Amino acid sequence: MTTKTSSTFLAVMLIALVAAPAWAQPWQVDAARSTLTFTNTYQTVTYTGQFRRFNAKIEYDPADLAHARFDVEVDIASLDTENSERDHAALGTAFFDAARFPQAHFVTTAFRKAANGEVLADGTLTLRGISKPVTLTVKFVQKGGDATLDVTAQLRRLDFGIGTGEWADPSMIGDAVTVQGHLLLEPARAPGVQPAASARSG
Amino acid sequence: MPLRSTDSGWGVLVRAFHWSIAILILVQATIGLTMVGMGLTPAKVRVFALHKSIGITILALVLLRIAWRLTERRPADPAGMPRWQVRAAHALHLVLYGLILAIPLSGWWFNSASNAPLVWFGWFDVPSLTGGYDPVWKPRALLLHQTLFWVLVVLLVGHVGAALWHHFRQRDDVLRRMLWKR
Ligand code: HEM
Ligand code: HEM
Repeated sequence: MTTKTSSTFLAVMLIALVAAPAWAQPWQVDAARSTLTFTNTYQTVTYTGQFRRFNAKIEYDPADLAHARFDVEVDIASLDTENSERDHAALGTAFFDAARFPQAHFVTTAFRKAANGEVLADGTLTLRGISKPVTLTVKFVQKGGDATLDVTAQLRRLDFGIGTGEWADPSMIGDAVTVQGHLLLEPARAPGVQPAASARSG
Repeated sequence: MPLRSTDSGWGVLVRAFHWSIAILILVQATIGLTMVGMGLTPAKVRVFALHKSIGITILALVLLRIAWRLTERRPADPAGMPRWQVRAAHALHLVLYGLILAIPLSGWWFNSASNAPLVWFGWFDVPSLTGGYDPVWKPRALLLHQTLFWVLVVLLVGHVGAALWHHFRQRDDVLRRMLWKR
C-alpha cells in the first residue's frame, strides 16, 4: 500500500464516519406494558378500542430531534373494542379489511418543536392501503434509565376509507378518531451485553 | 270509565297499561324476530337501536303499571268460576307480570354485557347494567332473553285462549271489562 492510497483510504473512512447518521438513542419497547388505543363514537356513544399487537421501533433523544425516528407496524387483526360483534364487523371489507390490509404502518419524516414547546412528529400513516400525513404530539419522560413515550394523533377514518358509502354517516360511526400510544421504553442493547447499571436504576 | 278499578270492572289506567303494553310487545317481538336475520348494514344497526329503545319504554311502562296495580284492587271473578280456575288465572297473571319485567331486563342485560350502545330514541344514554363488556354473562343473558320470550309466547296462548273462552263460551264479561265495558 502506498502512502497515497492509504491516505485516500483514510479520508474516505473519515468522510464516511462524519456523514453516517448519528443514530439517536434506540429504545426497546416493553410490549406487555405498552398500549395503542383509540377513541371513537358508535351511535354517538364514545368507546375505546386497542390494537393488542404492534411493533414499534423507537429512536429518540430529546436533545437530538434531528435524528429521532418512530417506525410502527400495527397488526390490524389484533383490534379489540370489547364487543365481539363490533370487532368482527370492523375487520371486514367495509372497514379495515384486515384480510387485504393486515398491517398499518406509521413512520416519521421529521420532528419539530411547536411554539408552545410541544414536540411534534410528522409522519406518514399507511392504513387500508392509503398513505396520509399524520402528526403526533410527543411526550417523552425519562426516569432513571427507562422512559415513557406518550403520543397522540387525531385522524379521520374516512380519509383512510374505513367504513365509506352507507357507513359514512358520522352519527353512526364518528369520523374523528383519537389515537394514543403509551410506550414503556428500555434502553436497547446488543445481545449479550450486560445492561449498564444506570439503565436499571430508578 | 272510572280511573280506579272497582268490584265490577277494571279502571281506565289498568286497561290503558294492559293494551298499550300488549301492542308494544307485539310490535317488539316482530322487530326482534326480524332484525336478527338482517345482513349487517346501517339499517340493521338502526333497527336494533329501535328494538332497544322500544324495549326500555316497555320496561318503564311495566314498572309504572306494577306500581299502580299494587295500589289497586282487582274486580271480582265471575260468580261460580271454579276455585282452580281462579287460582290458575291469578297465578298466570303473576307469571305474565314477571315475564314482561324479566324480558326487557334480560335484553338490557345482554346489551350491557355486549358493551353495545343504548341511546333511548337517540335522545339520552341508558347506563350499562354490567359496567362494560362481560363475555361470560353475555351468552347467558341472550339465552335468557330468547327463552323467556318463547315462554311468554306459550303462556299468552293460554292467556288469550282463556279470555276468548270466557267471552264466547262462558259469555261472562271478563274480556269486555278489560276492553270497553263501563
Ligand atoms: C318486552 C320487551 C322485549 C321483547 C318482547 C323482546 C323480544 C326479542 C326477540 C323476540 C328477539 C329475537 C331473539 C332471537 O330470535 O334471537 C330479541 C332480540 C334482541 N333483543 Fe329484545 N326484546 C325486548 C326488550 C329488549 C330490550 C329492552 C333490549 C335492550 C335494551 C333488547 C335487546 C335485544 C337484542 C340486542 C337482541 C338481539 C339478540 C341477538 O343479537 O341475537 N330487547 N328481543
Ligand atoms: C303481550 C300481551 C299480553 C300481556 C303481557 C298480558 C298480560 C296481562 C296481565 C298481567 C293481566 C292481569 C292484570 C292484573 O291482574 O292486573 C291481564 C289481564 C287480562 N288480559 Fe291480558 N295480556 C296480554 C294480551 C292480552 C290479549 C291479546 C287479550 C285478549 C284477547 C287479553 C285479555 C286479558 C283480559 C280479559 C284480562 C283480565 C283478566 C281478569 O279480569 O282477570 N290480554 N293481561
